[in-house]
Amino acid sequence: MGIQDETADSIYTDLDEYAGVDDDRSEWSRFIARWRETFASQWRLLKQDTLVVFGIVTIAFFALVAVLAPYIAPHSPLERQYGDDGVLISQWHEPFWLGGEGGHILGTTAEGYDIFSQLVFGTRPALIVGFAAAVITATFGTMVALVAGYYGGRVDDVLMRLVDIAYGLPLLPTVILMVAYLGPSFFNVIIAVCLLQWRSSARVIRSQVLSLRERPFVQSARVAGASDWRIISRHIAPNVLPLTFLYAAFAIGWGILTEAGVSFLGLGDPSQVSWGTMLQSSHTYNAMSHGVWWWFVPPGICIALVVISGFLIGRGYEEITNPKLRRRN
Amino acid sequence: MGKTEFAIRRTFQLVLTLWAVGTLLFVIFRLMPGDPTSYILSPGMDAEARQAIVEDFGLNAPVHEQYISFLTNAVVLDFGRSFHTSEPVQDVLFRLIPNTLVLMLAAFVMAYGIGIVLGVFVGANRGTRFEKGGIVLALVQRSMPTFWVGILVLWIFGAWLGVIPMSGMRSAGESPESFLHMVASLDFFWHLIAPAACLAFYSMGYPLLLMRNSMLEILGEEFIDVCEAKGLKRRTVLFKHAARNAFLPIVTAAAVSLGFAVGGSVLIETVFGWPGLGREMVRAVIRRDFPVAQGAFVMLAGLVITMNFVADLAYGYLDPRVTYD
Amino acid sequence: MSLLEVDDLRVHYETGEGPVKAVDGVSFSIDPGENVGIVGESGCGKTTLADAILGILEENGSVAGGEIRFDGQDITDMSASERRRLMWNEISMIPQSAMNALDPVYTVRDQIVEAIFAHETMSNNEADERVRDLFELVGLDPERADDYPHQFSGGMRQRAMIAMALALEPSLILADEPTTALDVIMQDQILKRISALQDEINSSMMIITHDVSVVAETCDRVVVMYAGKVAEEGPADTIFDRPYHPYTLGLQGAFPNIRKPDQDLVSIPGHPPELIEPPTGCRFVDRCPLATEDCRTSEPPEVRTDDLRTFCHHTDKIDGGFRSRAGDRDAWKETVAAMEIQR
Repeated sequence: MGIQDETADSIYTDLDEYAGVDDDRSEWSRFIARWRETFASQWRLLKQDTLVVFGIVTIAFFALVAVLAPYIAPHSPLERQYGDDGVLISQWHEPFWLGGEGGHILGTTAEGYDIFSQLVFGTRPALIVGFAAAVITATFGTMVALVAGYYGGRVDDVLMRLVDIAYGLPLLPTVILMVAYLGPSFFNVIIAVCLLQWRSSARVIRSQVLSLRERPFVQSARVAGASDWRIISRHIAPNVLPLTFLYAAFAIGWGILTEAGVSFLGLGDPSQVSWGTMLQSSHTYNAMSHGVWWWFVPPGICIALVVISGFLIGRGYEEITNPKLRRRN
Repeated sequence: MGKTEFAIRRTFQLVLTLWAVGTLLFVIFRLMPGDPTSYILSPGMDAEARQAIVEDFGLNAPVHEQYISFLTNAVVLDFGRSFHTSEPVQDVLFRLIPNTLVLMLAAFVMAYGIGIVLGVFVGANRGTRFEKGGIVLALVQRSMPTFWVGILVLWIFGAWLGVIPMSGMRSAGESPESFLHMVASLDFFWHLIAPAACLAFYSMGYPLLLMRNSMLEILGEEFIDVCEAKGLKRRTVLFKHAARNAFLPIVTAAAVSLGFAVGGSVLIETVFGWPGLGREMVRAVIRRDFPVAQGAFVMLAGLVITMNFVADLAYGYLDPRVTYD
Repeated sequence: MSLLEVDDLRVHYETGEGPVKAVDGVSFSIDPGENVGIVGESGCGKTTLADAILGILEENGSVAGGEIRFDGQDITDMSASERRRLMWNEISMIPQSAMNALDPVYTVRDQIVEAIFAHETMSNNEADERVRDLFELVGLDPERADDYPHQFSGGMRQRAMIAMALALEPSLILADEPTTALDVIMQDQILKRISALQDEINSSMMIITHDVSVVAETCDRVVVMYAGKVAEEGPADTIFDRPYHPYTLGLQGAFPNIRKPDQDLVSIPGHPPELIEPPTGCRFVDRCPLATEDCRTSEPPEVRTDDLRTFCHHTDKIDGGFRSRAGDRDAWKETVAAMEIQR
């Protein structure tokens, strides 16, 4: 997916084309200004797609909830609730709008935790895993791709064999095994996800770098004696940026889904409430047999919403980066 | 490069990958903080049992000897005995593999059958509401956690409507004579349908989107215009020509996505209590039954690696243009 | 009666900025056995015209008005299945680049046989026999029929496409730049082959090209198109010897002329106009050295001279001297100057 072809000229930027415009500024401030311009043009393209805007708004909403969690949640997520009779709750309670006692917005779990509070605090691990996975996998994958694609030869061979090997590892089982060995901590889940997810961005971006390397503006920069760093940072990197963003956006989804899966299997961080652990305990208590849907439906919806937002943003990027998918006019 | 040479090179790569995965496993296992024996020995064991296990694993031998014996054992699929039941891991694995394969195969056929056909239609209706709907559907399918879909299905169809069993692979009291007898039974099918459908629901989005992208590219080719000008029926143009060409990238993608399907099957097996390899791996990890966990992992990884291999080889036979340069 | 009559045809492509009027009120006809060339620069609506006749417009394109009558029947009005019955059987095509015109995953034989079976019932042996005959007809080794397209060279693929186009002995063949992808020697061979075969089965042909020399060699009549409209139309000889439209004259100057080999090549300055909001009067106005205020405000009248139909305000000036000057670069200088002023 997302592999570019020769017709994609419209998205190619050459930062040196801007050279000589503001010569009174220092080299670095111009460099940064050009990069900012590159980011800004990406953003302008993205804004045109309503689905992308939906994705961005949704993620922003959840990020806000994550930041403000202590103010939004009426209780602490792992604070056992007392019933109206003053006894610790040891059976789930319905949401208040279904006639449940205690005024819990989404009722309580079988252990007597307030489900709404857990849901609110659950945004934190989800978003942290999502963004960590996105940033780490996209950065690492892009760097591997730039090095492999630009230098080629033996370096390329070795790095691409590594990618092949990474492709041989089934995602979830590998994460499970690593968490089993490294211990069930939140950090280990992030590490495990990132160790496996850089592979696809590395592979696709590398082939893009390979084609960029042969383009006239790169060739002419090379003839003009530009250093490798200059060619990579000015001419090649801005052009793989959309692909990097694309994989970052997809990685948000994969990170969150994997974390949820690992937690659901009971291998997550036991001290932290996440949407995955909520689903795990509802499954353990066989909530679906008892029809306690207010326990297991909301976390799933939240996961799906955040994940699809990541996918929609990535999708929007894909339509931009792959001109074959665009409508021809 | 000829077909044979490509096959040889690809086989070499297959062996290399398998070796790398094995080595990785060994390294992770040895590099764990602390004494490795503390991870594999349960405190409740008596000295004799401890000694037996240490010898069984060769943990008293030098590291390079351990490495060699680890690899040779892995090649013959000898992963020792389960800490939990003392049953040879090999027996456990061979008992469970068919269950996982049947589940995955059923899901795979459903997912790719439906996904590809939908993808053809979505791709053929560019710029319509149908297309946008198809894309959103595919993304929704991939965004909903598999295990959550499983929970919803169990709640709605199992607990509420009561049309599917809540767990397992066969009803209590059923004791089929052999695996084949069981698979052929209606009771098995009744148990299989929900987990397979959930897995398929999740896996379907990928072929759908890929097929759509691929169709968009192919439909812009000139030979499609010629096919239409030939007076062929729309269905013939779409399926015999466009889809047949668009199908090629799906083959590789299908095998790669099997890696994800394996992950999905771990979750689905757990939700539906399906006695397969993935669920066993999770249970082994929780019980700290490392030989079983390792063995199950090697089998799952081996499956993924082999499928990638098969896909690469198959591509050459499906596309007459492939030259392997 | 004419075989094909295109009557005031309009084809629009929907885009974000509004409809592109790629073909805007084009009329012409083709008689049985006649070869008609459609000439113009790229972007003039030639290919759109052919796609509309074949019913293979891009999904954002549609016939917005007018009729295409084949044997007296309006094919824009037909049901899909009626139209399919006509396709290839009566109207076939030789596409722009044979490079991508054959499905890469089927053998050439399979693809020709598929076209035959879509319209005729016959046994497999008979169909194979037909493929063998067709291959011999176009000068290909029949033994190679079971090859895949990628095993053929460019020229062989073009011949295979011609064989396929002739498979059902259609009464009209639409050839869109049939030889541009080939080298000059191959071009010549293929064109001669097409003409010979066409005489044999007595079909008509519509050849689309921007290469005037191709038309000179193969066509009885020529339609010169500019910016979605007919600029000039008439017998090939007259179009070459005594055209009246400045655009036709400009086109002639832009290609090597066998009769005047020493002449310099002069290309028309500028580009065809955008077709979202085309100029109101004559569409050639911005590039025409003879342009006056009239050209800008009112559409050019249809002027009939001898056997030509010309859409121009200034046909009198052509006879009055421009024709003899058109081959010189100087004749177009005023246009260049005018364009610079606009800029």
